[in-house]
Parts: sequence; C-alpha cells; structure tokens
Amino acid sequence: MFRRVVNVAEALVALGAVAFVILLFANNPGGVAGSGSVGSELFAANCASCHGADGSGGIGPPLSGGRVLRNFPNEPDEVTFVANGRGIMPGFATALTPAQLKAVVDYTRTGLAK
Amino acid sequence: MTAPAETAQPRAGLSSTAKLLLMLVLGAAVAVALGVYANQHTPTGRKPYPLFFSGMIQLKVWFATLAVALACVQLLLAARLYGKISIPKTAPAWLGDAHRLTGTLTFAVTLPVAYQCLWGLGFETTNTRVVLHGIFGCAFYGAFVIKVLGVRLKGLPNWVLPMAGGLVFAVLVGVFLTSSVWFFTSSGQALV
Repeated sequence: MFRRVVNVAEALVALGAVAFVILLFANNPGGVAGSGSVGSELFAANCASCHGADGSGGIGPPLSGGRVLRNFPNEPDEVTFVANGRGIMPGFATALTPAQLKAVVDYTRTGLAK
Repeated sequence: MTAPAETAQPRAGLSSTAKLLLMLVLGAAVAVALGVYANQHTPTGRKPYPLFFSGMIQLKVWFATLAVALACVQLLLAARLYGKISIPKTAPAWLGDAHRLTGTLTFAVTLPVAYQCLWGLGFETTNTRVVLHGIFGCAFYGAFVIKVLGVRLKGLPNWVLPMAGGLVFAVLVGVFLTSSVWFFTSSGQALV
C-alpha cells in the first residue's frame, strides 16, 4: 500500500516536472519590463527581481510613480547611486557599462515615472 | 569444466563505464540547458505565486529550507539502508520506500522555487553569492538526473548510488547556503 502511494507520488511529481519545463517556455506574459528599450531590457535583467517588473517594489523599494525623480532630482546622483549601491542594494559599476547605467537610470526616470 | 553461462555468453548492453558516462553526460546536459535558458531568457520580473508569504523571496527561502530538511531525512534513511547507522535496530520493510518518498518530495518542493528563479529572474551576475547560487541551482537538477539514472540503471558499481546521492545533497546545501542562509542572516527583510 505504502509503495503504491510512493509510486503515485513519483508519477505526479514527474508530471509536475514536465509542466515545469513546458511553462518555462510557454508562459510568456505580455507588457512586462524587458519588452522595449535598452533601458527597459536592462531594468528587467538587473533590477526587476528586487524592484518588481513594473517598478512597484519587492525586496527593494518601489520606483514607479515618480518616486525616483523625487529621491534623485539630479540624474547623475541616481547614476552614482546605482553604480555604487548602498546597504542591501548592490552596486552595478562592474556589471554594467556607463552607457548601460545611464540607459537603465533613464528608464527609471521616464518609463517608470507614470 | 565449463564456465558459467553468464561468463561464457556476456549479456549484450552497455558496460558500467558507458552507463556512468551516459549518466554524467545527461546530468551535465540538464544543468547546462537550465543555465543557458536562465541566461538567454528575458527575465519577466514577475512574482507568480507568493501564496501566504509577503513576497516571492520569502516563499523561495522557506521552500528551500524545507527541501534541505527533507534531504536531511533522506540522508538519514539512506544511512540506515546502508547500515551506517543502527537506529532503529531492525530496519523496517518500508524504509526504502520512505527514502524514495522523501527524495520525491524534496524534488517537488524545489520546482516552484526553480521556476521563479529561472522564469522570473534568470541568471544574474550581481555578486559572487548570486553567481554561485545560479550555478548550484542548475547543478542540482543535473545531479538529480544522475541520481535518478543511478537508481534506474542496473549493473552499476555499488559506490555510484551513494556518491550520486551525496552529490545531490551537497549541491542542495550549496543552494541553501547561498539563498536561505544569506536571507535569514544578512538580508534584513521580513522573514515570512
């Protein structure tokens, strides 16, 4: 009886593994960060995991709705912050080029400002 | 004097060396395929199923902790199966099935975590911990494939299965150290 339960559990988990692989490729949500400009692509790849795909926050604070502009009225200050990081926020000076840093910062100031 | 039939007419099929190579190649292929997917796929940044947790990362670190706890139970069961420990004195008949079940549950618990990592975040290179976590995560499924093949393929040397099981356990602990332990000790985030 117990062996039968184990066999059923194994079969169900095997199905789950198949669903896992299918969903990796089939589940493609529209309208997420990463579907447009270079800045949005960089944001999706480097920032969205903490700040949310739409900048609504997560581990990191929300960035959308003009919050970035209020916290960093001057763009160079934000670039410096993103490059060097602070506290739990990692610095991206080695992961991104200066041009990429500017692109992603531009995106947070314009693409996420609405 | 005649040799035993099995010696005189060796059974057709793969040698144990070929089976070992097959296991290693398939395991490596799975690990590399996951790494390539994570690197090439544009991360969605979505948090699909936080359940009753305050965020996806909380769900992931607790599921990873549960996976390690189950893996520890499985390790103890394996130690009893191989006679490395003697508690209980008489091994119950269901011990092997319990070992299989805990392994199955461990794997099941990792799937929602891996899905969010691969689909939502992708392969990140922000710092050493994150890189190691990505490598361990991909390697876990490669090691798991090696272990499953080690169970299914017959005629392998006796050391293969415990070695494969130990590899899966070690890599899972690596995943745990670079995610849950970091989160609980250093992240400063809400624990649940």
